[in-house]
Amino acid sequence: MNLAEGVQIVSFGILSLMVIGAALGVVLLSNIVHSAFLLGMVFASISGLYILLNAGFVAAAQILVYVGAVNILILFGIMLVNKQQDFVPLPNAWLGKLATAAVCGGLFALLSTMVLGTTWAISTEAAAGDGSVVLIGMHLFSDFLLPFELASVLLLIALVGAIILARREFIPDEQPGDPQPEGLKLPERPRDLVAVGSAPPDGDA
Amino acid sequence: MLNFLKQVGDYAKETAQSAKFIGQGLSVTFDHMRRRPVTVQYPYEKLIPSERYRGRIHFEFDKCISCEVCVRVCPINLPVVDWEFNKATKKKTLNHYSIDFGVCIFCGNCVEYCPTNCLSMTEEYELAAYDRHELNYDSVAMGRLPYKVTQDPMVTPLRELAYLPKGVMSPHDLPAGSRRAGKMPEEILDELEAAKEPADQAASDKG
Amino acid sequence: MTLGIDLQGSFVDALTGLGLPAGAAKASWLPLPMTLILIAATVSIFVTVWLERKISAAAQQRIGPEFAGPLGVLQAAADGLKLLVKEDITPAKTDPWLFTLGPAIVVIPVFLSFLVVPFGQNMVITDLGVGIFLWIALSSVTPIGLLMAGYSSNNKYSLLGGLRAAAQSISYEIPLALAVLAVVMMSNSLSTVDIVNQQAGYGILGWNIWRQPIGFLIFWIAALAECERLPFDLPEAEEELVAGYQTEYSGMRFGLFYVGSYVNLVLSALLVAVLYLGGWELPVSIGAIASVIGVSESTPWLQIVAAAAGIFMTLAKAYLLVFIAILLRWTVPRVRIDQLLDLGWKFLLPIALVNLLVTAALKLTFPIAFGG
Repeated sequence: MNLAEGVQIVSFGILSLMVIGAALGVVLLSNIVHSAFLLGMVFASISGLYILLNAGFVAAAQILVYVGAVNILILFGIMLVNKQQDFVPLPNAWLGKLATAAVCGGLFALLSTMVLGTTWAISTEAAAGDGSVVLIGMHLFSDFLLPFELASVLLLIALVGAIILARREFIPDEQPGDPQPEGLKLPERPRDLVAVGSAPPDGDA
Repeated sequence: MLNFLKQVGDYAKETAQSAKFIGQGLSVTFDHMRRRPVTVQYPYEKLIPSERYRGRIHFEFDKCISCEVCVRVCPINLPVVDWEFNKATKKKTLNHYSIDFGVCIFCGNCVEYCPTNCLSMTEEYELAAYDRHELNYDSVAMGRLPYKVTQDPMVTPLRELAYLPKGVMSPHDLPAGSRRAGKMPEEILDELEAAKEPADQAASDKG
Repeated sequence: MTLGIDLQGSFVDALTGLGLPAGAAKASWLPLPMTLILIAATVSIFVTVWLERKISAAAQQRIGPEFAGPLGVLQAAADGLKLLVKEDITPAKTDPWLFTLGPAIVVIPVFLSFLVVPFGQNMVITDLGVGIFLWIALSSVTPIGLLMAGYSSNNKYSLLGGLRAAAQSISYEIPLALAVLAVVMMSNSLSTVDIVNQQAGYGILGWNIWRQPIGFLIFWIAALAECERLPFDLPEAEEELVAGYQTEYSGMRFGLFYVGSYVNLVLSALLVAVLYLGGWELPVSIGAIASVIGVSESTPWLQIVAAAAGIFMTLAKAYLLVFIAILLRWTVPRVRIDQLLDLGWKFLLPIALVNLLVTAALKLTFPIAFGG
């Protein structure tokens, strides 16, 4: 075993420990913000594993997309949601926990048998390394064009959906005769001041 | 379509305009970089306070007649005059006099109205203290004269803007004997006197 | 193409000549450039802080620091020393782990990004294939640290500052990445060394700024926003948020934020220099100079001079941009948060997309000029 291999094995061990430890933390910690930050650590450690696999581009993409975007969105969601919910002890909580443990154990057993049952063969082809960017690009625009486009359409739909949810026009306007809810009134600013004149439909003003 | 193109054009125009304005602002900032600093390097350089500067008040114990005019003209009755009536001389004798400069607003009314001129304004403005009660000056503290900025060997005295020669903006490195723009008050007085004298003479000749 | 000086090669050769195995020789080379870059980055903080103070002072007709060392050059060292020995307060009801980790997570990616900054043909820690993409990925980690700091401080201002910082970072990352993409499209490579080499050969005329003027502006604006420099320093806006996510920090943990922000500024300036201003290239190409003097380009002394000039040029370009950033700081007023997001999403993003499309079209039409 030479120097490089030793470094690889040691870093593989450390990274695996980090992934597993952080993932356990995500699931088991009671503070949801801690879980979210640990999720970021899981993603980052996985990107370290990608680097060990000589896939620098995938590693960078993993950090950019998962740590830099997904995890931050999760954190945003957690920090902006201001819902305090008191913990209500359930009468038969142990039952749910038991069921969860059973499902998780079953899943783990299934995956273990799959891992043990597969004959793993290390590919004799040299890893693409730095050339992987070109290879990924070519695959995306040839064999994987349809899934790629479908994924982007899916993202577009999600985007449009988010905009529709956030748009104000879809909040039903109040009719002039409707009684105004007390909570929405601004005492110091009468509403009429806003609607002095409507803008002309063409932008010639 | 045309409308849309017009909107795009307007938008581009606005963008170019704002870029131009930012450029103009940058050039102003850049221009300021080559100007001389206008700051006074305080503990080493100090501005000479003007003649009418209203600084910490000076008090002369012996002149005071304990009339309490200063207390009456003070907006908040600040001076504390502690006196006793001396039956033998039938005069008030002053025991203590104090002003709290943490509260004083330096309006100068007491100085203005003092009948014996025992109160006067000094040039002292460095009244920093660790405790605000330290600013409560008694007659001894008020009797001290401040150090003059022009006589302090540690300090480079700088003239204020109004005391600089005409067209000069920086008080540094003034030539010796350079005088400020405009006439001095005594010169104006002299001139007035000179103008009045012939008139007086004519009046006396006539009479 | 000139290869320049191969320091690593000569170092490894010298060590193997001394009887070391090749692997050990290579391994002993590894820490050298990293330490060098760490030191260089630290020194760059001192230089930048000094420049910031002096230029700010000049723009406001002040003198600035002048007693700590000649012309006040040691002021940053004095500041750093003060922060080191200052009491490190952890306020009540904070989350101590996150409170400590936050500044570290802000600083580490910034220093890591120096991996891909080239100062010369071989003056780069690693010429990674993913190059500039690594920087984009790493700079997207920073907001996590900011959110961490903001959340754990147990302070409304901190939380708002952290959220603002994260929103700002992720909004401006997109135009930034698109502007980089246009450059990458022209050089057919993500590697920073390749990007500079693609601009080489024609002196100042070959620099990307002539082919990507809009991209350059987009990148610079977005980089300023990523660094939270003044027109976009909303996360720490004193007038609104005390000091944003830094409010509760003191001592060395605050110092880490301070270091992070200045190193980030230098890093962004270096990357603008690499992407748009020809990196280590001189305004007149080395080949032209060599032919004028009448020496071969592979002459050892010319190569040494060229390497030194390359480092000098990179730093000179970067510090010119730092200067512009400082000047902008005293020129442009701070934008509001909605104006900031408007600028990012409604102005820079569409323009960056159009710029990308135009670059692609130009690349297809004039493959010679736009890197076919």
